[in-house]
Amino acid sequence: MSHTDPGTPIVRCEVDFTQRTEYHEGLEAIRAAHKLLAEVPFTPSLPEKGYNNRTLYVNVGTLEVKEKPVTQQMKDVFVGGRGFGLWHLWNAVTPATRWNDPENEIIISPGPVSGTTQYAGSGKSLVVSLSPQTDIPIDSNVGGYFGPLLKFSGFDALELQGKADQDVILFIDGQKGIIRIEAAPLDPVDSHVLAEVLTRMYAENDADRVNISVVSTGAGADHSLIGMLNFTWWDHRRGCVRLKQAGRGGIGTVFRDKRIRALVCRGPQVKSGLNHPVDQETISQTGIKFHKEMRTNDDSQCKMRRNGTAHIVEIMDAYDLLPTHNFQYGSHPDTHRIASPVWQARCTQETVDGCWYGCSMACAKGADGLVLKTGPYKGHMVTVDGPEYENAAGLGSNGGIFDPDYLLELNFYCDTYGVCTITWGTLAAFVMECYQRGILNLERTGGLDLTWGNAEADLEMMHQMARGEGFGWIAGQGVHKMKQIFADRGWGDPALMQDIGMECKGLEYSQYMSKESLAQQGGYALTNKGPQHDEAWLIFMDMVNKQLPTFEAKAEALYYFPLFRTWFGLNGFCKLPWNDVVPSDNGTTSEPAKVPEHVQNYVDIFTATTGIKIDKDILIHQSAKVYNFQRIFNIRMGKGLRSFDMPPYRSQGPVTREEYESRAERYDKQMLEDIGVDPTGKSIDEKIAITRAYRIKRYNDLTDAVYLRRGWTPDGVPTMARLKELGLDVFPEVVEIVKAHGG
Amino acid sequence: MITVNGDTLAWHPGMTVTDILVARNFKFPLLVIKVDEILVAPKDYQATKVPDGADVNVLHLLSGG
Amino acid sequence: MGVDQAMRQLRIDLTKCNYGRDCAHECETDCATKVFKADDPGLAALHIRDHGDGTGSTILCDQCGDCVVVCPAEALKRNKLGVVMINKKLCVGCYMCIGYCEKEAFERNTDWVEPYKCTSCGICVKACPHAALEIVEVPEPARRII
Repeated sequence: MSHTDPGTPIVRCEVDFTQRTEYHEGLEAIRAAHKLLAEVPFTPSLPEKGYNNRTLYVNVGTLEVKEKPVTQQMKDVFVGGRGFGLWHLWNAVTPATRWNDPENEIIISPGPVSGTTQYAGSGKSLVVSLSPQTDIPIDSNVGGYFGPLLKFSGFDALELQGKADQDVILFIDGQKGIIRIEAAPLDPVDSHVLAEVLTRMYAENDADRVNISVVSTGAGADHSLIGMLNFTWWDHRRGCVRLKQAGRGGIGTVFRDKRIRALVCRGPQVKSGLNHPVDQETISQTGIKFHKEMRTNDDSQCKMRRNGTAHIVEIMDAYDLLPTHNFQYGSHPDTHRIASPVWQARCTQETVDGCWYGCSMACAKGADGLVLKTGPYKGHMVTVDGPEYENAAGLGSNGGIFDPDYLLELNFYCDTYGVCTITWGTLAAFVMECYQRGILNLERTGGLDLTWGNAEADLEMMHQMARGEGFGWIAGQGVHKMKQIFADRGWGDPALMQDIGMECKGLEYSQYMSKESLAQQGGYALTNKGPQHDEAWLIFMDMVNKQLPTFEAKAEALYYFPLFRTWFGLNGFCKLPWNDVVPSDNGTTSEPAKVPEHVQNYVDIFTATTGIKIDKDILIHQSAKVYNFQRIFNIRMGKGLRSFDMPPYRSQGPVTREEYESRAERYDKQMLEDIGVDPTGKSIDEKIAITRAYRIKRYNDLTDAVYLRRGWTPDGVPTMARLKELGLDVFPEVVEIVKAHGG
Repeated sequence: MITVNGDTLAWHPGMTVTDILVARNFKFPLLVIKVDEILVAPKDYQATKVPDGADVNVLHLLSGG
Repeated sequence: MGVDQAMRQLRIDLTKCNYGRDCAHECETDCATKVFKADDPGLAALHIRDHGDGTGSTILCDQCGDCVVVCPAEALKRNKLGVVMINKKLCVGCYMCIGYCEKEAFERNTDWVEPYKCTSCGICVKACPHAALEIVEVPEPARRII
């Protein structure tokens, strides 16, 4: 089944997608055990031009509930979404605050366009907190219904601060205008059970379930630093909750540290126009135009509706970019076992898979009828959300696992335990390579035979983490801390582990091979939050298109794309509809990689919603304010400088002899042509060292060029001139930090 | 001999755009292909012949995550 | 849902219809005013268009059910007669139905949130002076994956 052959018939999965194990039998006992701790009425409202102009603050420790205004300055500088999250977090913490202090906050903010029902991917929210993994702010983009329902209840953001002394649920009823904090002693722990119970509990009847969204995590977040948050929506064709994730950085761990069991929002019935946009007709027309584009082009382009993001598994493999065995290699002969035709046949095709209304890209595929082989839910039949590309690559090829059912099971348990699949994939790959190299062994892992491809051992490691015991607990600390733990125990060479441990700033790398793309090395390491590809994905532009031949060209891309992509997270847009389908005439435009018609769609929808006239340059300017603010926030929290933008060598070049040998021809050719050194007669270790020195120097040269282009000092500090350009000099503490660091 | 994104590729009589994609293992679905600056639509990849000495640009659009 | 079900489908006989050259577009007028309470015949759920060069075209909903497949709110369902009907209460106004209708037969009025479509009610059949329109019982097509 190839992308150039849209005539190939779709294989239908024979699974009954309405069947699964159900968990709501004990619902009444769970509800009866809830104890009301606080109840606060509020006046529900709907946004005007995308904003309610107020946010909700809840302290789960003191039980304080209050409303805060959204100021004009907030809208001018921060727009919404990630911007509002960073602003509230900045005001909540000091440079001394750590992730598990009560002052740390979790802020959920949808953004002015979020909740639009016509344009694909217009229901996202951003979640911001101080990360347990990085100690700096993490921002995480998530779908599901919670953000829009929160907004249509009356709030542009939700701030959660403090720590409860027992497990609590926060319930926001946007229909009745009541906020409740309830003690929840008997509520289930893991998301696929908890979210089902809570959706049924808080809905007044069957029809009301689509108005409920739950934010929850699972046992994994109780015992690790890598917990994430699930945001639900009710899938009424399937009759079950579906889960999208605010995955990266450990926000679920903060959530559980605060003893929050779940957030539940009950919104009003969703309808077109609840944002009260200035110009609904433009939004409607643009949305319909995009739906038609999806109808006409998706089957011959990325097949998002059929395969979701997993459509690129075999493509990455073909380009030698599929992370394999802890990013050592870029392809594997067994990739076809987890490639998109497998998922197209395994995922249910007959349902609607958009994670917010109006998403015609509808990539939230689900695999139904999986009977679990391991763990506390062994024997249960479940629906798995995914797999996404990241899951197939991270949980699959990166760990040498090519069995689709085991891959689905790993995906499922990550989701219900509340841990990030990207993070788990990369940390498990690190563990397996350590096992391969004798840094770990059966004794050190407590009997887990963590060889490449051993999915059962990988799953048991995850179950141990969820129970808070054994080697699994160590794994749940993440790669950054594992390197330290192993070194402290005298296991392995710390320098080797530093090279192969794929994390930067404390966050694990996501599932793309940057080894041969200098631009992508910067795309991962010169980021604000850590090596997550949402800032820049430049591999093809760099390596295949050869569009970035000079440092200046790379720097320009590393200036533009992070700012462009940041903009989605200020507004509540999903990035995928921007470029996972393109108009038929996109190739005739001057810059097809930017998909200019879609950029114009976004400009039009933002303006039509808010009444604020922007163009594609103002869009970049809006992002630049938030992006630079975040950089300064990182500096404020003790990182944010050049030394923290230095990546592990595995992300830049071949660490080991096997890696060099696997691409020897290419590396030798580069040595001769690019470095100007003849490889003939040199030992492999000499060649590895020469390549390494060259690549590290190139990365440093790139960093110089990128910082310059971004208006930063050579140490990575935004300059006063840049601050003034962006209007950030109105914040005295921001100016102080910049001046203190030579900006 | 032709060039594809600046790299050389052996040419044979009757070579089509599809042949280039196969030779280079270019499986990505979102491509913008120009042969000597002339845009070739996806439906024409199979039929479009590439002359010897052509400068071919196969732009992969971004996608990714 | 099976192919043995029948559905009521509006059909036009183009040997009897001259794309409005020999009539006053009574079908569109009656549909718009009587069914959808709109003054403008352009807002009818069927369209008869004279291209002015001797040719013309018609847009009729054939109850294919593609819109049922794509609706995220399950607001579109076949009734007992197999006709695809919109439940306005459930509709969220996302317009994926309009986007995915290959015949461009799903309609929108900028005054209303919910789109609308032909319900095989037969008013246009009665209105046509040339009896070019009829409602027929045909098998329901298989549900597509789109």
